[in-house]
Amino acid sequence: MVKQRDLRNASGRGYLSKLARDIRMDFLLYVMLLPGIIYFVVFKYAPMYGIIIGFSDYNIVSGFSDMPWVGFGIFEDLFTKAAFQRAFINNIKISFLKILWGFPMPIILSILINEVKNLFYKKFVQTTVILPHFISWFVIYGMLYALCNLSTGAIPEILKSINAAFGTDIEVVNYLAQKETFMTVLILSYLWQSSGYGTIVYLAAITGIDQQLYEAAMIDGAGKMRQLWHITLPSLRSTIITLLIFRVGSIMNAGFDQIFALSNSLVISIADIIDTYVYRIGMEEAKFSLATAAGLFKSLIGLVLVLGTNWIAKKVDPDSGIM
Amino acid sequence: MTVMNPTRLFRKKDPYQNHISRTRGEKIGGVIICIFLFALSLIMIYPFWHVLMYSISEPERALGGGLFFYPRGISFFSYSLVLRNAQIWIAYKNTILKTLFGTLISVVLSAMTAYPLSVKRLRGRNFFSMMIFFTMLFGGGTIPTYLLVKSLSLIDTFWALILPGAVSAYNMFILRNYMQSLPSELEESARIDGAMAFTILFRIILPLAAPSLAAIAMFYGVSNWNSYMDCLLYTNSTSLQTLQLYLRQVLLQTSSANAAMTVTGETSEYVSDTQVQMVIVAVSVIPILIVYPYLQRFYTKGITVGAVKG
Repeated sequence: MVKQRDLRNASGRGYLSKLARDIRMDFLLYVMLLPGIIYFVVFKYAPMYGIIIGFSDYNIVSGFSDMPWVGFGIFEDLFTKAAFQRAFINNIKISFLKILWGFPMPIILSILINEVKNLFYKKFVQTTVILPHFISWFVIYGMLYALCNLSTGAIPEILKSINAAFGTDIEVVNYLAQKETFMTVLILSYLWQSSGYGTIVYLAAITGIDQQLYEAAMIDGAGKMRQLWHITLPSLRSTIITLLIFRVGSIMNAGFDQIFALSNSLVISIADIIDTYVYRIGMEEAKFSLATAAGLFKSLIGLVLVLGTNWIAKKVDPDSGIM
Repeated sequence: MTVMNPTRLFRKKDPYQNHISRTRGEKIGGVIICIFLFALSLIMIYPFWHVLMYSISEPERALGGGLFFYPRGISFFSYSLVLRNAQIWIAYKNTILKTLFGTLISVVLSAMTAYPLSVKRLRGRNFFSMMIFFTMLFGGGTIPTYLLVKSLSLIDTFWALILPGAVSAYNMFILRNYMQSLPSELEESARIDGAMAFTILFRIILPLAAPSLAAIAMFYGVSNWNSYMDCLLYTNSTSLQTLQLYLRQVLLQTSSANAAMTVTGETSEYVSDTQVQMVIVAVSVIPILIVYPYLQRFYTKGITVGAVKG
């Protein structure tokens, strides 16, 4: 500390000389920072420059050097494509359903888990509900296949025996290959995979609530429901708002990993989202300009949504928000 | 005479039980919650159990389908078939290498980025932080990134599996926030004693930041093990195929007797497609299950230590 102050007093007063001196003093810190900065510039910012492909007529042979600028022509073309419109609508629809069912689930689960008094049992439940988060969507697809396939799957067999036993007539179908049922499979598998993981944050927040609040409420005669409504939920408020911002802000991410692993050509009309659309026309049909435009459209909406929801959250509660 | 604190008195009686005796409704409610959570736990575990039991059952008996609470006969024939195949070992090797090297590089790079950004006097700290934070909000997209990887001649190299996703801004900020919470006097006194920045980072800061360091190592490790987009987009040759994509390849061949063919190179009457698929699912999930107790502990810590603030 002493050394630093002496150095500061000794050298000149101009901004540039101060800057030069500060950089010299922390030179090694800048050296240390360099690889990370290079990484972000090369792998994150350089692709942002690549966005110009979305405004140009790119072809793979001539590359970047010779591509005619077409302005918003690609976008006009994109917006008239039925497949893109479909992907956009599916994207919003799937995300909306996921938020609707998936957002409250961890909150409800944490409140229930917190009610368990036996510590061993509590630990057991926590351990099992988080487990599905750690496996890939292809593994989940493998499990769903094992449960749903018509020849040896678990669920069709159960339904068949129910039909046989009670004389009912439940239709036995492959849920993974039916338009009518695929959305349910998508949402349920999403809930299965992510609900438990979401409880980590909420349980930590619930543990942080002052127990004396509950004791005081009990002395005043508040039952479980009133404690929940007047203590637990208000204490979770800023956590809930912050996570909801993240969630709504990422509405354009409808879950590429999941849909790419689970969907197939039979259900494409309801499962195709912007990300899978970009992958298909970009990587399989090599229409780079169109795919880039679709991706950019998605990213821009995402950016506006994050900034917008963050702004709203700050209005509602100045302590919340991500920025 | 001291004034007794009423809450203190009640706590002494029983730390876990509410001091006002629970009403009948509450007791019944508690039991219902326990039963509900038990059912939920079963739903969470059963698919894993099903796959494992199916994969070790005798092939003909497994074909009966339905629920598998226990194996129907025990046969490791399908395992021996699958594990005799060379491609699964290649895929395993690639995934393990990717997880080990990828995680190592990611953790070192993240720590080297996080530490300077946690030093409050550093000039340009806010600028660099904002620059990295912005990449969490906006990105170039799949195609421009693919073209970049291509122009760097990384296509079909092992580096393509590691470098494009090497640093996650989110993980970096978790680490930085944790380092910021350490007392700055540590760094200052070490500097006065003549320690260089790298020495301070590796000898003083990182050992103290061990909880969050372990957490982000787990984040990177799990995502390296499970991710498949990089392999799908940036590699073509089977010698770079990872486990997840191999799994995909085998799972997608459900139409005919293809799965068993792909894996074993022969159609055998003793083995069914579904069972081969279940064996591969099991083989790719077992390593995760083995390390899961550690994963869970560090994940829980990691998520609770760092909230992202730009």
